[in-house]
Amino acid sequence: MTTDTAGSVSPVQPHRGRPIGLLLVAVPVLMVVWLIIWPIISAVITTLWVKTPEGDIFSIETYRFFFSDGYSLSNLGMTLWTTGVCAILLLVVCLPIALYLRFADSRIAAYVQGLAIFPMFVPSIILSFAFIRVLGPNGTVDLVLNAVGMPKIRSPYLTPWGPVIGLVWDNIPLTVLILLSGLGSVSNQAIEAARDVGAGKIAVLWHIILPRISNSILVAISFAVLGIFSAFTLPYVLGPAAPEMMGPFMQRTFRELFEPQTAITQAVVTFAFCIVFGLFYVYSVAKNRAP
Amino acid sequence: MSTLVRRRTDWTGITFAVVLTLVIVLPLLVVGTWAFTNVWRYPSLIPQEFGLRFWNQTLARADVWSSISMSLTLAVTVTVLSAVICLPAAYAFARMEFPGRSILFFSFLAGHAFPKFGLLVAIAGIFLQLNLIGTFWGVVLIQLVGTLLFMIWIPVAAFQAVDRRMEEAARDVGATPMRVFWSITLPQAGPTIAAAILLSFVGTFYETEGAWLIGAPQVRTLPVLMISFINNQPVIQYGAVLSVLLWVPSFIALMFARKVVNSGSFARGFGG
Repeated sequence: MTTDTAGSVSPVQPHRGRPIGLLLVAVPVLMVVWLIIWPIISAVITTLWVKTPEGDIFSIETYRFFFSDGYSLSNLGMTLWTTGVCAILLLVVCLPIALYLRFADSRIAAYVQGLAIFPMFVPSIILSFAFIRVLGPNGTVDLVLNAVGMPKIRSPYLTPWGPVIGLVWDNIPLTVLILLSGLGSVSNQAIEAARDVGAGKIAVLWHIILPRISNSILVAISFAVLGIFSAFTLPYVLGPAAPEMMGPFMQRTFRELFEPQTAITQAVVTFAFCIVFGLFYVYSVAKNRAP
Repeated sequence: MSTLVRRRTDWTGITFAVVLTLVIVLPLLVVGTWAFTNVWRYPSLIPQEFGLRFWNQTLARADVWSSISMSLTLAVTVTVLSAVICLPAAYAFARMEFPGRSILFFSFLAGHAFPKFGLLVAIAGIFLQLNLIGTFWGVVLIQLVGTLLFMIWIPVAAFQAVDRRMEEAARDVGATPMRVFWSITLPQAGPTIAAAILLSFVGTFYETEGAWLIGAPQVRTLPVLMISFINNQPVIQYGAVLSVLLWVPSFIALMFARKVVNSGSFARGFGG
């Protein structure tokens, strides 16, 4: 960095700062263009313009194949099912935790908050291993059940419920934090006012709290959907071999079947299914942050 | 507690605490126990024999050491490169005026509008033409992209939080711009920038999907080795010992980042 750079610290000298500012941000911006924006555009182009001996022609053949292939469709269905179930379970689990944390201030509440955030510091690969040791065949749950004379569980390991349990566990911290941040904007006065006119707990939740945090709920769901729809590690390690989720499916198509064109088609399909959630999520983050 | 009124027992809290302890802490304790177990045969509730035998055996494996050094090399390379290209950019975003500043600032969000693994497959399609599949630098590039948002947005906030009046005061008494940067700006923005660097190191260390898709089988990081232990290794303790080793960077991050994570601004950064 030259002294001239540091000399233009203040935006009140726009003319001196112009070229050097652009120069400083150029490398990371070009990386975004080269490794995010270009691959997406290129993925759409290469799957729609197919190379033939007579030149490139427009064709939706790869997509027609995807949507007529039974195996691809069952993988897509499995992914949609997992994503939906996880989103619902996350709300059912995290909303009560967030509500409790918003209105409690005991030492127990601090402990509950610490635990709810803790999975953020557990890499999903360690989580997978722990899952197998606890819920897998002859795992801890089986040991305990056996000790009290009950039959073994039907292990969720290598069934569709394996990735669901793992993904919910993994997504609890950010969902709780996003909901809690939304609950921060619900004022105590609004709740007390409703209580004063005789509203019960359910009425307060339904008419006062939920309308005020609906945006946070949508953000939390969007974030979870984006992460879960193309999750790789947890479904790959914990899920069934077939049908598989889109993440492992794309990986296998790309690296084991050596069909990059098909894998990229599958990727574009995941983009299409998530685009609404993605745009809403990015819009919400951008709204909270001015440069 | 300021009041003398005895509070009612917080049964809701106790229920949450017990359930979360069982669901979140217990599985990790089981892994920890396995790592220090010599013999644990079904159906005993506790191991028949505790001991460090499998630590010796795990640490004697060549693949463990090569993947540890691969993971550390990758994480250091990516973090250093990321700091070198992102911190000057963050300074420019925070302090300079240039055309397209807002749109370029928000362009770093682009990667977050798409499902991550789909995006990785699209990038892999590009890397295939460039012969970067299965190479160290291919993995570096894909992990570097993952750090851009954090390494720019967090330092921008840090530079913006620096007290401008102190900088101007120093300039008024004749300090050179470079001197102002080193003596005023950097010490104030330093701790937050250090947190961003730590975050990108830890994030890169645990990055599994890009390393697996782009790097395998030539580039084998610790998480990638862990996947193959889970899938193919009949000796449970190897995976358990590796889990404990693998958790160390996360534990360090936990110590430093707890305050940051619990603050409201962190959740707002995710759109909350």
